[in-house]
Amino acid sequence: MPDPLHVDLLRVDLLQAKNLCAGYGEMEILKTVDFSIREGSITAVIGSNGAGKTTLMRALSGLIATRSGAITFDGGVVSGLPAHERLEKGVALVPEGRLVFPDFTVHETLKVGAFSPRAHEGWKQRIEDMYALFPRLLQRKQSRAGSLSGGEQQMLALARGLMSRPKLLLLDEPSLGLAPMMADEVFRQLRTIRDSGITICLVEQNVQAALDIADYGYVMEDGHVKMHGPAAELLTMGSIRESYLGL
Amino acid sequence: MDQLASTQLLLSALVLASIYALVALGLNLIYGTMRLLNVAHGELMMLGGYTSFWAFELLGVGTLWSMFGAIALTAALGALCYVTVFRYVVRNRELAARLESNSLLIFFGFSIIIQNGLSIAFSADQRSYTYLNGIFALGDARVELNRLAVLGVGAAATAACVLFFRFSRLGLATRALIQQRDAASLVGINADRIQLLVFCVGFGMAGLAGSLVSMTETVTPFGGFPYTISAFIVIILGGLGNLTGGILGAVLLATIEIYGVALTSSAYRSILVYGVFIAILFLRPQGLLGRKMR
Repeated sequence: MPDPLHVDLLRVDLLQAKNLCAGYGEMEILKTVDFSIREGSITAVIGSNGAGKTTLMRALSGLIATRSGAITFDGGVVSGLPAHERLEKGVALVPEGRLVFPDFTVHETLKVGAFSPRAHEGWKQRIEDMYALFPRLLQRKQSRAGSLSGGEQQMLALARGLMSRPKLLLLDEPSLGLAPMMADEVFRQLRTIRDSGITICLVEQNVQAALDIADYGYVMEDGHVKMHGPAAELLTMGSIRESYLGL
Repeated sequence: MDQLASTQLLLSALVLASIYALVALGLNLIYGTMRLLNVAHGELMMLGGYTSFWAFELLGVGTLWSMFGAIALTAALGALCYVTVFRYVVRNRELAARLESNSLLIFFGFSIIIQNGLSIAFSADQRSYTYLNGIFALGDARVELNRLAVLGVGAAATAACVLFFRFSRLGLATRALIQQRDAASLVGINADRIQLLVFCVGFGMAGLAGSLVSMTETVTPFGGFPYTISAFIVIILGGLGNLTGGILGAVLLATIEIYGVALTSSAYRSILVYGVFIAILFLRPQGLLGRKMR
């Protein structure tokens, strides 16, 4: 085992956001956010409702435009690129509320998940891999996505994101609306996915569960990063235990 | 009652259905993908019709060849229209919120420009030409070859489009975009390119329909409007944005028109068509194959 501190220094940032501002229309939601995600890590973003967590995910994935500041990913600036071009570079978002294609079957959804050129090679095998990772989806292969349960839709959205062969998987509230057992399963799968070499960043209401699986954490408040640090450290901090864990 | 079982009537209904299906297809594609109401659709048909008319009159080129010219001309116009106007309208969040009503106004403007442009260029005279007018006997039915050509080409083009959007990679992407725009861009679909494709195919199919119709009907600058209305009825019957539903709507409308008029008289045509239309909307407001609003 190498010295943990030494390994930490060797790790590089896969994604970096500097002075990031973004919002909708007149509303400025993110106000100069500095943020980074280390390669191979699980990074958790926590904070109360309206803190700007979802906006951060949408800005990182390119669904909304960056007002000012810069996002670099894997050595290149991506802040000016639309979502489909960022996906091509390896940034995939599993959006809040899942945003499934209601009329597609599970199988069609996975197929369209490999639409981008980077994901085209070996897409058939990858669909089989997804069925192995989420056996429930195999059972519902020919069902319409719109007819699936919340938990199944979440798995489908996750599998769809993985179909694009991402380097970085962004997840917005993956456990929202799920029964506790289902949520536990999703968190377990996130670990498996990270161990397969995909960097993960997730936004979560379930602070305990998120920090439990994460290596690093960010706390957002009112469009700013209030604090950040190793997840294990954040979990022991009094202010976080009070505000977000209700302890 | 004998008359109702005749091959003649069946053929007439099929010819009309294939035209309606083709006209409605283009309208449906553009509405389904971008929520744009193209009320200039019939005018695009007339552009296609004039292309085939002049190709025949001036160059002696038959419609079965000039229809490719009609498709190319209208598809290019579709690309121009998307690139100059709608690309920006769709992108701008404020304009996009009122897209459906704005598109109605923009296309209404296009329709007036095309109608009057055509009358300045070619006068308001009714134009027609004689092409493929040999008679083909099918049992006791007599049908002109050009009507069979309308049926054959119309049905083939409609089927090709439906199969393309059902089974091809780009078709899959288009259907994804129709269902969920944000999710489509998150799986790597370039909405801009799909929208350009849809404009070209939608406009091109209208041009093809006009080219085909010019073999059997007269072409005038203002002759497109009834087709626009019929196409709207067809896609509303079938379910807005549902391509297969559009074919069903086309067959239904053509059947009502041909058999209804045969049973009563041509004076009842509008009453029958709109009567059934309104009755279906009472029973299934979302159209025959449409889903209820979620």
